[in-house]
Amino acid sequence: MIHQGEILAPLLDVRNLRTEFATDTGTVRAVDDASFSIMPGERIAVVGESGSGKSAMAMSILRLLVYPGRVVSGDVLLEGRNIAQLSERQLNQLRGRSVGTVFQDPMSSLDPVMRISKQMTAPIMRNLGMSYKQAYAEAVEWLRKVGIPDPERRITAFPFEMSGGMRQRVMIAMALSCRPKLLIADEPTTALDVTIQAQIVEILKTLTSEANTAMMFITHDLGLVARLADKVAVMYAGRIVEFATVGEIFSAPRHPYTQSLLRTIPSPTALNTSRLPQIPGLPPDMKKTLRGCAFRERCRAATEICAREAPELSHRGANHVAACWQPEGLGSSAIDAEPERALRRNDGPFRDRVIVEINNLNKHFTSSSFLSRASRNVIRAVNGVNLRVRQGETLGIVGESGCGKSTLARLLLGLERPCSGEIFTEGLTQMVFQDPASSFNPKMRIRNIIEEPLLVKGKGDWRTRQTRVEDLVKLVGLDPAHLDRFPGQLSGGQLQRIAVARALALEPSVVVADEPTSALDVSVRAQIINLLADLKQELGVAFVFISHDLLTVQYISDRIAVMYLGEVVEYGPADLVFNSPAHPYTKALIDAVPIPDPARESRRASAVLRGELPSPLNEISGCTFATRCPLATEQCRTEKPKLRQHRKSREAACHYAK
Amino acid sequence: MLAYSLKKLLQLVVTTIGVVTLVFFAMRLIPGDAAAAMAGDTLSGAALERLRDQMGLNDPLIVQFWTFVRSLLVLDLGRTLTTNLPVSDLIMSAAPITLLIAIATIILAIAIAIPLGTMAAFMAHKGHKTLDNMITGLAMIIDLMPSFWTALVFLLIFSLTLGWFPASGPISWDDPYTIVMRLALPILVLSLSQVAILARMTRTAVLEVLSEDYVRTARAMGWSELRVLFRHALKNAALPIVTVVGLSFGNLLNGTIIVEAIFTIPGVGTVLINGINSRDYQLVQVLMIFYAMLFVFINFATDILYRALDPRVKF
Repeated sequence: MIHQGEILAPLLDVRNLRTEFATDTGTVRAVDDASFSIMPGERIAVVGESGSGKSAMAMSILRLLVYPGRVVSGDVLLEGRNIAQLSERQLNQLRGRSVGTVFQDPMSSLDPVMRISKQMTAPIMRNLGMSYKQAYAEAVEWLRKVGIPDPERRITAFPFEMSGGMRQRVMIAMALSCRPKLLIADEPTTALDVTIQAQIVEILKTLTSEANTAMMFITHDLGLVARLADKVAVMYAGRIVEFATVGEIFSAPRHPYTQSLLRTIPSPTALNTSRLPQIPGLPPDMKKTLRGCAFRERCRAATEICAREAPELSHRGANHVAACWQPEGLGSSAIDAEPERALRRNDGPFRDRVIVEINNLNKHFTSSSFLSRASRNVIRAVNGVNLRVRQGETLGIVGESGCGKSTLARLLLGLERPCSGEIFTEGLTQMVFQDPASSFNPKMRIRNIIEEPLLVKGKGDWRTRQTRVEDLVKLVGLDPAHLDRFPGQLSGGQLQRIAVARALALEPSVVVADEPTSALDVSVRAQIINLLADLKQELGVAFVFISHDLLTVQYISDRIAVMYLGEVVEYGPADLVFNSPAHPYTKALIDAVPIPDPARESRRASAVLRGELPSPLNEISGCTFATRCPLATEQCRTEKPKLRQHRKSREAACHYAK
Repeated sequence: MLAYSLKKLLQLVVTTIGVVTLVFFAMRLIPGDAAAAMAGDTLSGAALERLRDQMGLNDPLIVQFWTFVRSLLVLDLGRTLTTNLPVSDLIMSAAPITLLIAIATIILAIAIAIPLGTMAAFMAHKGHKTLDNMITGLAMIIDLMPSFWTALVFLLIFSLTLGWFPASGPISWDDPYTIVMRLALPILVLSLSQVAILARMTRTAVLEVLSEDYVRTARAMGWSELRVLFRHALKNAALPIVTVVGLSFGNLLNGTIIVEAIFTIPGVGTVLINGINSRDYQLVQVLMIFYAMLFVFINFATDILYRALDPRVKF
């Protein structure tokens, strides 16, 4: 941290950076006149939606942009040296040595055919002038620091022999091993499970503080910002629209975009009885030359000057700048224009009518190979699950990846056959997938996509089908003009609406949504969540909402089922499960979620769940969670706890559940 | 690695059995038989039957099959029907020439195509389209020229007009200079089409790897473009390249038959064509197995190399 009274020159000073991507259909202005600076040891978060220029800006700093991207103008000063004027050779001496980098996807960021030892020792030898032996010892030491168990053995592994969390640790170890002064981390935890994310954040925090390494990290997760950042830069349409200390960004945001963004996140403390505030519209097309403020079309405080002239960043406090003509941004008019509609809780006439009943459901996958038939592997993807879904309710299913959420969804839809157990459903079950862009045939018009289920089931003649399709599109809040377009012409949020419309075409009683919002940006996510809540209310459809995003699940669900290694470990009303979890795993999951409130984050004890999901291949005789549970005793390791009633209306599978 | 190799070896044995069985029965399906071919118009019905008895062609099929398999196992491949020479001698004298052509072609093609393809990919990645377009365009034009045509053109230009290389003449292992001069044109002709396929494949593979995340990681660690290209990109791109080299070996074997005929080289291809023309069942049968086995071995080698290059390859 910065010492008081000391006069410091910034470590990194970015001035009027402009980056463009020349595409066939026009030039995309990815970064537009961005200026900011980072002090030594400071942690800066860069937030914004996809396409706002976060990654392009980070890549521009190191000049790592690949064709067709290029830095058009601007200066980047690192310790006073202008990077823009360095030769490729001088740049290479800087990369890795002065600036370390961690990327988003740990699964693809390490060379798959090179051992970890080689990938780690080579930069250490080059940058710190060590011998191979010294560098090897140093690499082992760094692997230990980032929390890799048994580093002496693991260092000889290939990346594919490690889990995603482990690979991200390796990436961090690699980036920090040359003792850079600045670490650039591009969405370092986005691809990871929430418990692993919490571990990685702890490591980043500890290691950068120890060595006084400055950090610039890109994220769209405001909770993470609150947990990790000193200062925040908010980007919109290639511009930095607000830059301030983390406390001010959360307590007194001045730019309307920041203000709106903060309110679209479901809060763990709110009562969640109203709709999520949403930002209307979509970000502007970056290929067009923008006149005036880029946010004005989505801004309720926009006036005539906003259309004429783009606002410059101006001071709103000692450490606070914002680019808006209105001194207070949305100001006191910040109340959402959306009518407050009490929508969430299921108080309708359908209550208590069970439409899906799952009894003792099992799905085991066996894998055996040619030469090792003797050692047959059994993966218990879904193991003895009992669940009920009531009419018009939303059942949220949460758990880390590999816990059996998606297999359960496939079983519900009849895409997989259960090994044993029963599923009773009343009415049809339909599906909404995670990635709308890849779940549609790109060569089919939207009209035909929605019509398809009707055709398959032979519902109605051409005329009634067309009417139904138009009704469905209106139902999900889209203009029927979209019907004759192709999926490629629609945005992610619009496509997810189409996916919902298609799922509703046959009037199902249950819609299973597997991570329906995780591919979407925060502002669009709120729109989809509100849509699902509305539909539940209007049509009485039940939703099974599968997600790893606990805040969203807690917001949208009536009941929550927490899964661990194929089993339901806790099941009960959403508020109860979230606010006073009975099972230690549920508690650990909730503790791991970063809360978008820096004051609360700093008060929270960093109770990080240790370890990773054990291999589903090993048969565990006692409680499946005993290997990671802080409360585990001998009883837990030998005797399997049954899912049983705890207090009223809640079930948990733990010997020590409170 | 050992278990993997053993498994691939076992597959090789199974494939071999399949090849032998298929060749044997395919030959029996062809109208006419060895006795009729041998006798020509000289023998009448009864005499022909006697010849068939002598040659074992009237035995039950399963007995004939066993005799055939046994002869392969002990490498007693019999004699040619027309010239009555030992088939094994014929193959032993012809095979080295064909193999030399094939191996030299592969090496030459790799040596030209991989740097060319890598360069094209690198240029395309950097947005310098001109050189990339030149290389890919050239590769496409070459690929469009059939090797029998290029062989004739080369023969016409370099042997008959310019007289740089002899168009015919004996090949003796005691005279390396003549071997080089006699084989240079066929090797050049064959490697041209291999270069075309391989360069384009290399370009695609390297270009794809260059946009991978781990290449970006290597750049961010401060490695030079050349090191990134050779240590990371080419090593990862090697896998599809090896596959294509292995697969195009089949094409190459076809090619050797054609160029051997055009350049009058006494390789296996020439022996095969003579065998077919004289309806020498015994010879053709063995040669078919020879070609098939060559291909099977190349595939085996590709599999092993694949595993050595990529630790992720499972069986």
